[in-house]
Amino acid sequence: MNDTNIVVVGATSAVAQAAIRQWAQRKQALTLIARSASELERIASDARVRSAPSVVTIIGDLTDATFIAETARTMNLPRTALVAYGSLSDSARADTDAAYLAAELNTNFVSAALWAQALAERMATDSATGGTIAVISSVAGDRGRGSNHAYGAAKAGLTAFCSGLRARMAARRVHVVTIKPGFIDTPMTAHIVKKGALWATPEAVAAGIIHAIDKKRDVVYLPGFWRLIMLIIKHIPERIFKRLKL
Amino acid sequence: MNPQSLDQPWGRGFSAKHSHVFASHQAISAKNFLPRGLGRSYGDLCVNDGGTLLHTFRRDRLLSFDDVHGVLTCEAGASLADIAEAMLPRGWFLPVVPGTRYVTVGGAIANDVHGKNHHGGGTFGRFVKSCALYRTDWESTQQLAADDEMFHGVIGGLGLTGVIREASVQLKRVPGPGIEQETILFGGDGSIDNYLALDEASKPWEYTVGWIDTLDRGLRGVFFRGRHCDGPDEWLSPRSAKLTVPFDAPRWLLGRWSAKTFNSLYYRANSLRTARRETIPLWQYFFPLDSVNHWNRAYGKRGFIQYQFVVPAAAARETVPRILAHLREANVASYLAVIKTFGDMPSPGFMSFPMAGTTVALDIPAPDAHDRRALDRADAMVADVSGRVYPAKDARMSATMYQRFFPQWQELEAMRDPAISSSFWRRVTQTAD
Repeated sequence: MNDTNIVVVGATSAVAQAAIRQWAQRKQALTLIARSASELERIASDARVRSAPSVVTIIGDLTDATFIAETARTMNLPRTALVAYGSLSDSARADTDAAYLAAELNTNFVSAALWAQALAERMATDSATGGTIAVISSVAGDRGRGSNHAYGAAKAGLTAFCSGLRARMAARRVHVVTIKPGFIDTPMTAHIVKKGALWATPEAVAAGIIHAIDKKRDVVYLPGFWRLIMLIIKHIPERIFKRLKL
Repeated sequence: MNPQSLDQPWGRGFSAKHSHVFASHQAISAKNFLPRGLGRSYGDLCVNDGGTLLHTFRRDRLLSFDDVHGVLTCEAGASLADIAEAMLPRGWFLPVVPGTRYVTVGGAIANDVHGKNHHGGGTFGRFVKSCALYRTDWESTQQLAADDEMFHGVIGGLGLTGVIREASVQLKRVPGPGIEQETILFGGDGSIDNYLALDEASKPWEYTVGWIDTLDRGLRGVFFRGRHCDGPDEWLSPRSAKLTVPFDAPRWLLGRWSAKTFNSLYYRANSLRTARRETIPLWQYFFPLDSVNHWNRAYGKRGFIQYQFVVPAAAARETVPRILAHLREANVASYLAVIKTFGDMPSPGFMSFPMAGTTVALDIPAPDAHDRRALDRADAMVADVSGRVYPAKDARMSATMYQRFFPQWQELEAMRDPAISSSFWRRVTQTAD
């Protein structure tokens, strides 16, 4: 039994659900935050059946700055947190719909950064124990690509924010892990039926996240081969890169 | 848990064109769709060529567990693998498991699956206390109790009666993660008398099953009987699959001679352990093939089918050897086949496959026209003694035969959700010829 609290922001995402299951099986106490009350209740039930000793649910708009600040201030003190939501932006729509582009950037970057910041400050209030925050960014943030420029830019911002936050909080015993998954077979990508060897299951990615948290890693690519792929992609000269249909 | 292919059934061998929808809590707007779990049916039962597949495998939450009575309520996309792993550490196991744990609860209900404890426990459907069913003509989800008329159609209803959203299943208490197993050789005289006697004498054992070499005139075989027992904690979860079949086996590897060689080696390997009592992890006892990823590739690109028939107890002694001799003489290649004697526990499902009698399941790689004719004759022999062939493993039986095996099929047709269909159902309900 381990009753130190783990907070999951965006608990209904496929990766978050897989991580919650693995933590529940390890008998961890959980606080789950999401927008959809009915889905969240099912996920909480699942965690309870799988042996989580206590599960608290908090329902709200994850992108609302007031909700973020209030929740981080009043929730049970977390020792571990996972920020796990995102929206796979439709680049074509973002080309012409400015309000949509702004909302997507807000969801994928601004609100996620606010959560990381607020959780870090809350964890730092208990200087004896501190804590670890894992933030799901993406390999898409390593370089802006034509096919998903809005999503990639938001994740690039989030990666940079996490890097800076990690440095700011290092002396205050709060650790930040940046998670960069590649393609994951989830409802968010369900429209893609043909999936090749690059696709990972949410279960495998969740296991990688939990391992990275346990080992206090700084930046992890999941699966690990993405580090190499992105190394190559980052080094393609822009003159050539802009012509590639990536 | 994800299926290995969204389009193909487990036996592969053909491809179909589908559009895909992933089940959510929302209403279903698709027309001509088929609910599908992990796609482990061997043939076109989990295929809806030209239509839509409604994938349920992500609706897999465990919703409540009453640990006094052992009743688990879960979403129907939950796999038996997941349930077993979650519940075994708490001392509970599934009441019935088929030969693979990679099936969903919804699939186990829709096919009313059976296992090695059928003689004492009956089918999976007997342990379903209630289920939540969505039908397009109801436009809503309703809770069905075990005495509802619709419930009797849902159990063994091949997924045609609506989308099973949730189910409550009676689990069983087990002493731990082990199985105490005994291995005994039988046969050699061309009959199954030896097997039947062994099976009769093993009734007190919770689990019984035989492997039979159908290519051997003597019908030699290996009988396994087992019961739950305790085991070390590391057996509580299965070892992850270490082996993967990386590509399709070439055709030359799949003929009758390879099958003969394989069967001999298998028999010899087991003859070394005969009459021995040993304790093994239950995963290994129930799901030996689950430890090899993609084992269906071992049958090559053209796939395989399984031919599983059951004949009533009174006819078994005579009919089983006759059918096996017929297939052997027709040169139908088959690797080791499974033989099991069902009990007489009635299923709540009126379309359920098992009946009191003896069942045999044979793997047949890429059946050609000749194999198919031989199987058609075997169908007739099964029908003549009022037996049945198992739809979950079929990809070939004729409409005429299906309707002889399941004369009550029109009752299921009457209960079918008008928006749901499958390639299998269209095949076996066309006008009999």
